[in-house]
Amino acid sequence: MESAAFDVPGVTWNRVSDRLIGVRRLTVAVFLGVPALATVVPAVIVGSAMWLLPAVLVLLVAWAWWLIPRQVRAIGYAELEDDLLIRKGVLFRSLTVVPYGRMQYVDVQAGPLMRRAGMAQVQLHTASASTDASIPGLLEAEASRLRDRLTEAGEARLAGL
Amino acid sequence: MSTPNPWAPPPSATAAEQPRPDAGDPPPDAPAAPGEPGADERIEWRRLHKVTPLLNAWKAAAVILGLAVWNYGEDLAQLDLAWAMKILLVVGAIVLGAIIGLVYGAIAWRRTRYGIGEESVFLHSGVLWRQQRHVRLDRLQAVDVTQPLLARLFGFSSLKIESAGGAGSNLTLSYLTDTEAQRVRNEILARAAGVRRTGQAPGAAPAPAQEAPERPLLELGAGRLVGSLVRSGFMIVTILLVAGLVLAIALTRTFQLAGALPGVLAAVGYAWSRFAGEFSFRLGLSADGIRLRHGLLEAKARTVPPGRVQALSFSQPPLWRRKGWWRVRMNVAGYGGEGEETTTVLYPVATTEEVALILPLVLPDLGTDRPLEVLQAALTGTGTDEGFIISPRRARVFDPLTWRRNGVRITDTAVLIRTGLWWRTLAVVPHERTQSLAMTQGPLERRRGLAGVDLHSTSGPVTATIVHLDVETARTLLLEQAERARRARRHAGPERWMSRRGGGEPDAAALRAGYAGVLPAVPAREEMP
Repeated sequence: MESAAFDVPGVTWNRVSDRLIGVRRLTVAVFLGVPALATVVPAVIVGSAMWLLPAVLVLLVAWAWWLIPRQVRAIGYAELEDDLLIRKGVLFRSLTVVPYGRMQYVDVQAGPLMRRAGMAQVQLHTASASTDASIPGLLEAEASRLRDRLTEAGEARLAGL
Repeated sequence: MSTPNPWAPPPSATAAEQPRPDAGDPPPDAPAAPGEPGADERIEWRRLHKVTPLLNAWKAAAVILGLAVWNYGEDLAQLDLAWAMKILLVVGAIVLGAIIGLVYGAIAWRRTRYGIGEESVFLHSGVLWRQQRHVRLDRLQAVDVTQPLLARLFGFSSLKIESAGGAGSNLTLSYLTDTEAQRVRNEILARAAGVRRTGQAPGAAPAPAQEAPERPLLELGAGRLVGSLVRSGFMIVTILLVAGLVLAIALTRTFQLAGALPGVLAAVGYAWSRFAGEFSFRLGLSADGIRLRHGLLEAKARTVPPGRVQALSFSQPPLWRRKGWWRVRMNVAGYGGEGEETTTVLYPVATTEEVALILPLVLPDLGTDRPLEVLQAALTGTGTDEGFIISPRRARVFDPLTWRRNGVRITDTAVLIRTGLWWRTLAVVPHERTQSLAMTQGPLERRRGLAGVDLHSTSGPVTATIVHLDVETARTLLLEQAERARRARRHAGPERWMSRRGGGEPDAAALRAGYAGVLPAVPAREEMP
């Protein structure tokens, strides 16, 4: 994958845990796979055109199956001296720079699946609603380390609004 | 699972929970102790004006009357009673509502008290659900004095202190007498500015804070306001809709006004709210910041201290172009997310000359040697004149008309982003006010080697997005901008604006020598010093 434009010279990116692939695939399987199975029943009974729906759903699942590992591997973050860098996305890419001093608060969140896998998401909030600075799929130890590090760095470089 | 638990509170949070002896604010769970909120700070607790329940009672009466008419209106019409009796019933409902409102208001008034400390403003209120709200003065974003019509007639005002916590993050004192509201505002602003009164014995009656002298700069005439509304984009849409409606009636020969009525009413309502809200708009400058006064029925006087404007935008609908008018809007952290359009307007209709006067109020130094020329290019220009970076030619697929107009210019102090050929817009974001930055690219953009850059500001009408730059240019811009913002933050003034060295009112002469002035129609090099 050529991603030179979204690379920053002299920055080594941290990757998130590969366990996130499993969690995301499971989510897709539940929310798309189960409806696919359910729509097979009327398709068997009525036949012909009704097969279209499960076929589309299965295709979507297959696409997501192929896409998710690429998406997860595309997520990267780097802690620079004054900023947090977050890189994301395969089709729609983004590279976000969040200064520590702009941090208003940090969220650590995890749903039931994420918690079972021992992962959490760290999200940095600034005074701007459009800042999207979330890092999903961090191992719990790394999540708490990052949270403490961000809190500390934010306090040290605190800026006004 | 590993031992470090992310759900355990971080060490800093535990430290914060422990009582700090030096904290000036009373702990939130402590009972309200008027007169002695902290060991080292004495706050004089005050009440709102006695008339508050009366001014609020009519609201309760209106609600009860509305409910009664809504629920029992038809029953009342069918009741076999004389007209006099029916009118008496309605009057009774109003009186009952007023009495209930008055009694509740009186209790609420008794329970409400406010105080101004060295660090915070306090408001304790509530009848069933008690609330204690403390706003830190160094986090204050704006102070509004509002006079709703009824209160205005009797000489009362409501005072609102905005802080940066999104919608609803304000502290409202209503109602005070006009003079009291002004006195409280001046006191709050003086303390927020960091003006400390020295040589005053603690507990002594505080000397009234002097109002920072205000210099009026601009006043909007009613003629221009009406003209701007007639030529606004909203009016174009309305006229098109009405034309369509007339055409439909003419063609079908059926007259169905009922369907169009809500739309017409909404349009009239919007036009009226803009007219009444922006009527007699005045812009002034004082040491406490920019002061805006406006309103036909409900009068407002708003103060935005220095450094509180996060971003500015100048926009021009197509029909304003011949007049050279611009609508100036701002992002202020406290105003974000509040529905009213006028709240975020810095000046409703400014001529191009006035734009060059308003921008220096927010950005005293544009950070370039040729400020007027750069500003002119930013407002109306296209292409790479005056150092603008525009989309490369290959972006024509996405922006066939605007690719030369969409552009960005970075000066030493701010980012200027211009967009739109018909609906021109210029967004200005000072370097020290960007929250975070992002670079984005969709699949189609990638095929063309393009990318966009977003500067994230606090919520408000101004968005700072640069679209379809060359991808290498975009990345360089992103990284360099992060560095510039970092440097600018380091040198940014303190939150308490008078505590900086040489603080005070921006000198008018210095401003004019800077770049406030008449924009040259044609960039003229020899005019610059």
